[in-house]
Amino acid sequence: MCYRKAVQGILIVLSFTWMTNCGALELGLGDWQAHGFVSQGYTLTSNYHVFGQSRNGGSLDFTEVGVNVLGHITPNLLMAAQGLYRSAGGSDNEDFRLDFANLDYHTSIGDRAIAGIRMGRVKNPFGLYNDTRDVVWTRPGVMMPQSVYFDSLALRQAMISSDGGVLYGRYAFGDHALTTEFVVSEPLDDQGGATAFLTGIPNVQGHLEGRPLFVGRMGYEWREGRFKLLFSVVDLDRDFESKTPGLPSGNIKAFYPLASAQLNLEDWSFSAEYGQVTTVRSGFIPGGGTIENTSESFYVQAQYRFMPDWSALLRYDSFTANIDDRDGESTARLTGLPKHSFYARDLTIGLHWEFLQNWLLVSEYHSVWGTAWLSPADNPDLGTRTGPERWDMFSLMLSYRF
Amino acid sequence: MTGSLSLFWTGYIHAGDSVVTPFSLVEQYRKLSRAELREIFFGRQTRWPDGSPLRVFVLPDKHPVHIRFAKEVLGIYPYQLRSAWDRMIYSGTGTPPVVVESLEQMKKQIRSTPGAIGYIEE
Repeated sequence: MCYRKAVQGILIVLSFTWMTNCGALELGLGDWQAHGFVSQGYTLTSNYHVFGQSRNGGSLDFTEVGVNVLGHITPNLLMAAQGLYRSAGGSDNEDFRLDFANLDYHTSIGDRAIAGIRMGRVKNPFGLYNDTRDVVWTRPGVMMPQSVYFDSLALRQAMISSDGGVLYGRYAFGDHALTTEFVVSEPLDDQGGATAFLTGIPNVQGHLEGRPLFVGRMGYEWREGRFKLLFSVVDLDRDFESKTPGLPSGNIKAFYPLASAQLNLEDWSFSAEYGQVTTVRSGFIPGGGTIENTSESFYVQAQYRFMPDWSALLRYDSFTANIDDRDGESTARLTGLPKHSFYARDLTIGLHWEFLQNWLLVSEYHSVWGTAWLSPADNPDLGTRTGPERWDMFSLMLSYRF
Repeated sequence: MTGSLSLFWTGYIHAGDSVVTPFSLVEQYRKLSRAELREIFFGRQTRWPDGSPLRVFVLPDKHPVHIRFAKEVLGIYPYQLRSAWDRMIYSGTGTPPVVVESLEQMKKQIRSTPGAIGYIEE
């Protein structure tokens, strides 16, 4: 099954290669152009599964394919859309999706400032990488730092894009610039199992509605991002309309502030992000109470461009499911699950090699302590089996783009 | 000796022989400041002062003249441009410059495309 998918992936890569040999596809009308990418991953793990059945021989069930069209209708009015096919084991079965489709109008205010509005299905501006995280060319490695970007959990699809509008602005003075983006939108929280994840009830029947999603990002940058500071916030407040017999309706709030910093030198880039997710669930909790929980996510990362086509990655990534119970001990006592289900510390080393123009091979090794971000879909026995705290993962991804 | 050293460090002039410089046939084109060139090449400014569309041409990321243009004229590292362009392409927030394979092609494209700007080596 997964081999069939991989063969399909490779065939798509080859057919793209025949289509075009370099750069974008100029559509011959103003600045209209088309771009695309095909990425095929391989994941090999010990003890647990990531992106398919990845133990004993590994899994090829990690494929990302995207095609987009971009162009200006008038010099200040941009139209852009991208279709995305993604398959990543049990954690992503959505296959094809409309990733973004937006109209963007911007205008200059004096010499130093621009302001704009973007409407449609828009990418959620969040942190250093969220806007383009499905494209291996723009992310630091095969896998995003999972503490901040949660790829194997069901919240993923709701984090990536949403239907609504973004107001944005940029103010520059010399080498300095201030940027701001603010989204009001309908979140895609009916997709990818997000409702079950947000309520914390597996296979729950019902849907989320109510107040729109707010996402904001403010930043300072020096010399076009040689140094960059960002502060992002996701603020979700949704009413849960239960369709599960015996389960009352309720409300879910999630608040996720994230601070990001990046230093880009000629050969080195250093990045760090720190955030906390606070969730408040009420109404459907047995006994009528409210459950509030705050988790913690952070990573520090170094990238070293040691040759023109090569770079190396070193990263330490840490996720703690409950900041009041960092070693998971009391939650383990309450739930009967192992302590290491409530944290994950991931040490990653990797290599990034652009071996031909528009071709990329990325590989990395992870040594992980804890299982908090493993997908329950890929590891159905996670709640019953006592696996080890420490496990290994090796990932490889080949990508072609035009 | 000190003369050639000071030449080496003077913004637009490299090693005393060739100069990489912005190139456009647009009549409103004048000597643009570094800040204005960054607005154009990072894709934030998409029209000329009279409102007509602006078209940007660049050489491939690893072309020596592209690297010199990024460092000497814009004062940034070439990977900063690539990262900004990739962000525009894959988040639907802008159109990146058109990549041409050689300086000859660059000149040809700039001459035949209304509103075009790129760079050349002199």
